[in-house]
Amino acid sequence: MSTMKTTRDVRGVGLSIPRPDGPEKVTGRVQYVADMTSRGLLHAKLLRSRHAHARIVGIDTTRAKALPGVRAVLTARDIPELKHKAPTRAHAVLAIDRVVFAGQPVAAVAADEAAIAEEALDLIEVQYEVLPAAVDPLKSMQPGAPPVAELGTEADTSEALAHSAVAMAKGEAAPAKAVNISQTAAVKRGDVAKGFAESDLVLEHTYRVPMVHQGYLEPHAVLAEWDRAGNLTLWASTQGSFNTRSEVADVLGIEENRIKVIPVECGGGFGGKIRALCEPITALLARATKRPVRYVMTRREELEAGMPAPQVIIRLKTGVKRDGALMALEAETVLESGAFSGTVLAVSAVFLGSLYRWPAFDIKGSEVLTHKPSVAAYRAPVAPQTIFAIDSHMESLARALALDPVEFRRRHLQKPGEPMVNNQPWASNGAHEVLTRIAEHPLWKEREAWKKSSGNGHGLRGTGLALGGWLGGLQPTSATVKLNPDGTLAVLTGQVDIAGTNIALAQIAATAYGLDIDKVKITTGDTDVAPLTGLSAGSKTIYTVGTAVLQAAQNARQQTLEIAAKELEASVQDLEIVDGKVIVRGVPDKGVTLASIGKKGNLYMSKVEPVLGVAHPAFSQQAPAFAAQLARIEVDPDTGQTTLHDFVVVQDAGHAINPLGVEGQMQGGAVQSLGIALTEALMYDDSGRLMNPSLLDYRTLTAADLPDIETIIVEVPSPSGPYGARGVGEPPIVPAPAALANAIHDATGVRLTEVPLTPERIALAIAAKG
Amino acid sequence: MILPGSVKECVQALAEHGAAAKLVAGGTDLLPQLKNHLLKPGVVVDLSGVATLKKLTADKGLRIGAAVTARELERDGRLATGAYRGLAESGALVGSVQVRHLATVGGNICNAAPSADMIPPLLALDAEAVIAGPRGERRVPLRDFITGVRTTVLGADELLVELSVPDPGPHSGGAYLRHTPRRELDIAVVGVGSQVTLANGVCTKARIALAAVAPTPVHARAAERALEGQALTPQRIEEAAKLAVEAARPISDQRGSVEFRRHLVRVLTRRTLTTALARANGGQA
Repeated sequence: MSTMKTTRDVRGVGLSIPRPDGPEKVTGRVQYVADMTSRGLLHAKLLRSRHAHARIVGIDTTRAKALPGVRAVLTARDIPELKHKAPTRAHAVLAIDRVVFAGQPVAAVAADEAAIAEEALDLIEVQYEVLPAAVDPLKSMQPGAPPVAELGTEADTSEALAHSAVAMAKGEAAPAKAVNISQTAAVKRGDVAKGFAESDLVLEHTYRVPMVHQGYLEPHAVLAEWDRAGNLTLWASTQGSFNTRSEVADVLGIEENRIKVIPVECGGGFGGKIRALCEPITALLARATKRPVRYVMTRREELEAGMPAPQVIIRLKTGVKRDGALMALEAETVLESGAFSGTVLAVSAVFLGSLYRWPAFDIKGSEVLTHKPSVAAYRAPVAPQTIFAIDSHMESLARALALDPVEFRRRHLQKPGEPMVNNQPWASNGAHEVLTRIAEHPLWKEREAWKKSSGNGHGLRGTGLALGGWLGGLQPTSATVKLNPDGTLAVLTGQVDIAGTNIALAQIAATAYGLDIDKVKITTGDTDVAPLTGLSAGSKTIYTVGTAVLQAAQNARQQTLEIAAKELEASVQDLEIVDGKVIVRGVPDKGVTLASIGKKGNLYMSKVEPVLGVAHPAFSQQAPAFAAQLARIEVDPDTGQTTLHDFVVVQDAGHAINPLGVEGQMQGGAVQSLGIALTEALMYDDSGRLMNPSLLDYRTLTAADLPDIETIIVEVPSPSGPYGARGVGEPPIVPAPAALANAIHDATGVRLTEVPLTPERIALAIAAKG
Repeated sequence: MILPGSVKECVQALAEHGAAAKLVAGGTDLLPQLKNHLLKPGVVVDLSGVATLKKLTADKGLRIGAAVTARELERDGRLATGAYRGLAESGALVGSVQVRHLATVGGNICNAAPSADMIPPLLALDAEAVIAGPRGERRVPLRDFITGVRTTVLGADELLVELSVPDPGPHSGGAYLRHTPRRELDIAVVGVGSQVTLANGVCTKARIALAAVAPTPVHARAAERALEGQALTPQRIEEAAKLAVEAARPISDQRGSVEFRRHLVRVLTRRTLTTALARANGGQA
């Protein structure tokens, strides 16, 4: 992308500007959906199955309906739109005659008060015939496992399209009897058997990362209201209001024009608020009662019946020569998708087979259904899990061969232009640069001294690092930039700001147009007024919407200069915008103010066209972004407790539009990555019930567990991003599981292949080693 | 909600409402139970107006009012010395700072969770529970107070008013340690409170109390007996730690496996005994 040079520096791109929404949020003034009300508002509650797999023999709602204050009780019978073969979780509004995970809604209540709705749930009588549940994905893959989906249900691959359109060959159809394998994919290159035969060292491990929850602070919430003409308004906590509109329209079978989605301040999504979840049932309750209805999930419901990240199991076998030459890689990835299809198989194959240069590989992937809540994206879906496998493996190989672990990675790391597993070339990226930068860090250079300081009252000390990244999502988008009558600038998109992106987009508009940031206002419009845009996901808001805003601002600038050129009787090429005024270059006293141009565009009888910059780009070029993380730790060998002393994140931002915002993403991503590495796991018993449905036992890390996180931004400009920017949201959640496993290996000599790396796992592994 | 101003008024309120009444002090256990519909009391008796329950007296032993907070145990200078340090340490580990300002020792005991942090050090100090009821006051050794998971000897018309700790003597040291995966806002996977009292270089009394390894907190009797009458060497401490494992009857759950809990009992018993010994010897450990 050619970046139009403004003739004078403006306050815009490159400045660290705090998020304007920050003070509102930390002081509790922001209105989330749960804070909103409407005249005659009713409150919704859902009755959820306690069983992971059961046939519904009968539901009696008589007593619940009789409870004073209850306005509607719905079961699947009351909703003719429901289909047996629900293609997505959103379509499975209420269970029809079979429940397929513990926590699945079977009935819905709307009542005058939340407490009444809750009381009504206790009065609904459901008779279940409990069926055997498929809980372990490896067993669920086997013929004869209890079936999850209705026969003939199609795999849902839309998630893959939303995130990282990496083309992959579909695998051969699963064996007919393996009813729970919903998707397969396979890629192969070279002669793997020959590669292993010629290898000096063959290493095989199975890596496992459990289901984890995205951990957004605000649970799913929506307020639904119909008008008399049959139009639905949804105030939603969503990562993409147009997507929510499409999904709800599809489930309800109505035109999108009949639905307005108003994106309310979103208290975190991380992939968990892409797909519709509770919007359809809330809309149906509102339709049934002819009243506005609000539904807010509880934390327990979030953990039991949200849309967590899949469990990922990767069997990885590699062969190398004594001198470190890579020979062959064989991998089998199992993604546990829960009760509905919808995972991303391709990401795993790309990082397993083509982050490093394997001359021969054979990679198979399967998506497996189980009787658990269906999964969704979680910040760089499947990347932390895959990097945990491949980076742990690279570290183990380097150690086994007594090679420097960074040099070993750097030697085999693919460069831009080299082929990915799907034979597409790697786009420009800064993987080498971030790896080089982190290896220069004093904590890495001093790792031997740190290790030697173990004992003498200290625990076992070690240092580890890992490299991971994200391929970068793409989605068409659009934006407008208009000049106001007072010479200020207004940017409009439909993009939900879940990560501080609006201030960065405004910075892009400021620089591209040539006006200071304090004169630029940005608005996220609802689906009725905003131009179409995609999800706030895939690390693509700045990369794609930033491009649209850049182009729209350039377009508005061009229009502005053309209007000024006529007035100044000068050529557009000779004009520049300085301090809110268009002037002829070098003649600062001859000019016309932006305010006068803006005013003429809105003046009665004026012949000057209003300035309205528009852009609606689509994209084909991804911009991969990489992060490397380093952990300096200490392990108590008796209790297995890991203390994080230092943590460093080095990340390629391409060009940091708002460095403060980029650092915020690096910090937040690191904390979530460390949670996956050390403490987080959704734990299910043999019957498929969640054992830890509260934040007491589902352990997200707290500030007390974390050291200061050092952030270092590297800038390897993307040839295609606005001002060279790359996506920054996802890369920092990727490396920590591997970095921590590597650090624990360094400290204790124990190699763990399953996260979270809990004290129990560490202590028992050390004890077993003796 | 009833707001009594004295223990007597509390007893009257309980006599009136019986099993329908639930006492609340800090509320850090009660409120989550109400929120999760585990309890539906007809009436809540708020103890915050009863001043005598908030007193902590140190005079030849301790008298700890049931409504003394975890934070007070953590911060009280009189508990900072060797003999009572274990109690202070247990207070310092509960919840978070905010929770510790509310959570009370009496609440922790009456909630009777197997993992309660403040119980093991009090058991190790041979504390007695002072109970008020319609028939006056009765005293029950703390080790007999808790009868099972979330059950105690308290009748529906009784309340715990005080913990009475006998003077452990001049050469006594205590320590409490627990294991949690997180540093704060977590619950013990295993907790161990140890107390050792010395005379002429010999251990005259040893107490080891274990949390979260049985339906109730338990004493490791065999380990205690193995130490009493002995000079406490690292070897004897290690042997006692092994014996303590035998007193544990842990289960596997979302917080830890049987194997890991047994492992932790040994590690934490060794560590608390070592620290308690140093404190009994006047060390600042």
